[in-house]
Amino acid sequence: MFAYVVKRLLSGVVVLFLISMSVFLLFWYGPSEPAQTICDNDTSNRCTPARLEVFRENLGFNNAWYEEYGKFMKGVVAGREIQFGSTTKFDCPAPCLGYSYRTKAPVFEEMKDRMPATFSVALGGAFLYLSLGIPIGVAAARRRGTVADKALVSSFLVISSIPYYLFALLTWLFLTISWEIPLFSDTGYFPITDNPAKWFSGMLLAWLALGAFGCTSYTRYSRGSMVEVLNEDYIRTAKAKGLAANTVVYKHGLRAALVPVITIFGIDFGTLLAGTIFTETIFDIDGIGLWSLQAVAQRDLPVVSATALFGAAVLIISNIVVDVIYSILDPRVRLS
Amino acid sequence: MSAQATGPETLGSLSDEAQITDPNSKQAKEISGKSPMQIAFARLRRDKIAIVCAVVVLFFVLVAIFADLIAKAFGVDLETVTACEVLECNFANPGVGYPKTGPPFNDFDPSHPFGLAPRTGADNLAHWIYGCRTSLLIAGAATLFASVFGIIVGLVAGFAGGVVDKVLSFVIDFFLTIPFLLAALTIAPIIIDRFGTSDSYETVQIASLIGILSLFGWMTVARLIRGEVLSLREREFIHAARVLGMPTKRILFRELLPNLTAPIVISISLMLPAFVAAEAGLAFLGIGVTGSASWGQTIANAVPYWSNYSLYLWEPLIGVVALVLALNLLGDAVRDAFDPKTRR
Repeated sequence: MFAYVVKRLLSGVVVLFLISMSVFLLFWYGPSEPAQTICDNDTSNRCTPARLEVFRENLGFNNAWYEEYGKFMKGVVAGREIQFGSTTKFDCPAPCLGYSYRTKAPVFEEMKDRMPATFSVALGGAFLYLSLGIPIGVAAARRRGTVADKALVSSFLVISSIPYYLFALLTWLFLTISWEIPLFSDTGYFPITDNPAKWFSGMLLAWLALGAFGCTSYTRYSRGSMVEVLNEDYIRTAKAKGLAANTVVYKHGLRAALVPVITIFGIDFGTLLAGTIFTETIFDIDGIGLWSLQAVAQRDLPVVSATALFGAAVLIISNIVVDVIYSILDPRVRLS
Repeated sequence: MSAQATGPETLGSLSDEAQITDPNSKQAKEISGKSPMQIAFARLRRDKIAIVCAVVVLFFVLVAIFADLIAKAFGVDLETVTACEVLECNFANPGVGYPKTGPPFNDFDPSHPFGLAPRTGADNLAHWIYGCRTSLLIAGAATLFASVFGIIVGLVAGFAGGVVDKVLSFVIDFFLTIPFLLAALTIAPIIIDRFGTSDSYETVQIASLIGILSLFGWMTVARLIRGEVLSLREREFIHAARVLGMPTKRILFRELLPNLTAPIVISISLMLPAFVAAEAGLAFLGIGVTGSASWGQTIANAVPYWSNYSLYLWEPLIGVVALVLALNLLGDAVRDAFDPKTRR
């Protein structure tokens, strides 16, 4: 088990290293003039070729890419100094992901400021995935084959076939704009430390949209898994020895049925943490997803590469966590 | 022996099926073997939802193919107009920036059946028709490239085994860990910025979107095909082909590939709606198609006008939802038809 985790962590580090290199190369060879953004920004759009050359030189775009990649990796581990123009130098402590071209602030600090917003969205949405999806799925499985079950399954199939962002957009347009429901009037992220009530009401609509849409697939997973488990021999044994129906379903059935659901949930939760771009854009939540979208629009390369790296790291970690949890929940799975 | 020779002296026919003399008779055709494809299609034809969805999809495909003709028939085009010719530009009036004719403040205008876009004065119907073409072009091409690439990788990985399989599986897993939306967000603007000059901008944009969607869409097919090949390659007919000295290429494409029809059709049915949704989603975020008409782009433009002019938003939205929904439900029916065990 321990050896397995170490092995997975090592391969995760390798993957992360590859991704960081691809992202770095993408920004090195991708844009025709990577220093253009910062030059335009710094000179209020009066960027001359001479000024551009200064930025190119200072940002290292005149050196070989592997040299600069080495500097970048050193910055992540030990911190480094960054110089944009000819005069000021910025100290960038570890983990240094660079300085934003737009705000001239350390990218890592800005990312830390935006993490609570994304975590709030992800936690609330994920909570609703499970707390709505599993009970509905179990109820449908217990009544499988009935009209109610069929109606539920097919209506959820239709909802989950609609693209999520349109579902969320319509939720926002109707509830906030058209019907002006006071509870949903001011969506967005407000720090929980300042005003928990405002934080809650700002997030509520985003959670509901995310949860209502996401729970449809969890209903399907848990229903399918539950139907399978309820057909097992040991469930029949439990019923035969006279246990109450609820005990059979929840204590004997649900425990086994949840294992595959939890693994899917782990991956989904990781994806949410990596950045809920659509949710944040539609409900105007200033988290990592919205930040990366704005950075793309403004060609703010350090921010874009930092968010891409962050997303990949979160996904890799959640994959490993899921595998370990799976082996704990299901003793039949041996990690090797 | 004649067909009716079932006298007391004979043991009679072993089965109760009618004996067939003429191999071209109608009966002979009825009991002839059916390929899995034929069986699946027979099941699909009986599925009412599948038929309705297929009709809807066909409608969108026809709109996309004959976009020019349809636009001409309605007398609409994508040409930009001087906004003040068709929009309310008198600032003393309420409703500044809204069209002079048609919805939302005036009666139906037959020369612009879907109305005009506020602020730009562009024709909504023309944008809708060409948006359909953009959507299906990008999704279709991306599906084609992603499935061809995925099939090749899956075949090679599954059949070669050993180091090749290990390396290819690692590449598959590597691409699966990359968050798609973030990657598309990162790569699309760079490619477009790099290769898009002013005259080729539109083409480069569409080509780069197709490239990005296929780059992040091939892994599921590859995994599915690899798994199938792993089990198929131990079957007798493959061993026989090897013993007979059939070249590997021939084994891959003549022996294995026909047996992979079901997983290929299934993965295509999953990819198409996902790509249509992704194209519109990226355009909605402003990083997809911006040079030509796109439903997602129109949706993003229409959001600020929702309170007064909701029709403007409903038109592209219904287009996306209907197409994605029909493709998804059709895909579901296709999966059921190929594998009746997964009946919903």
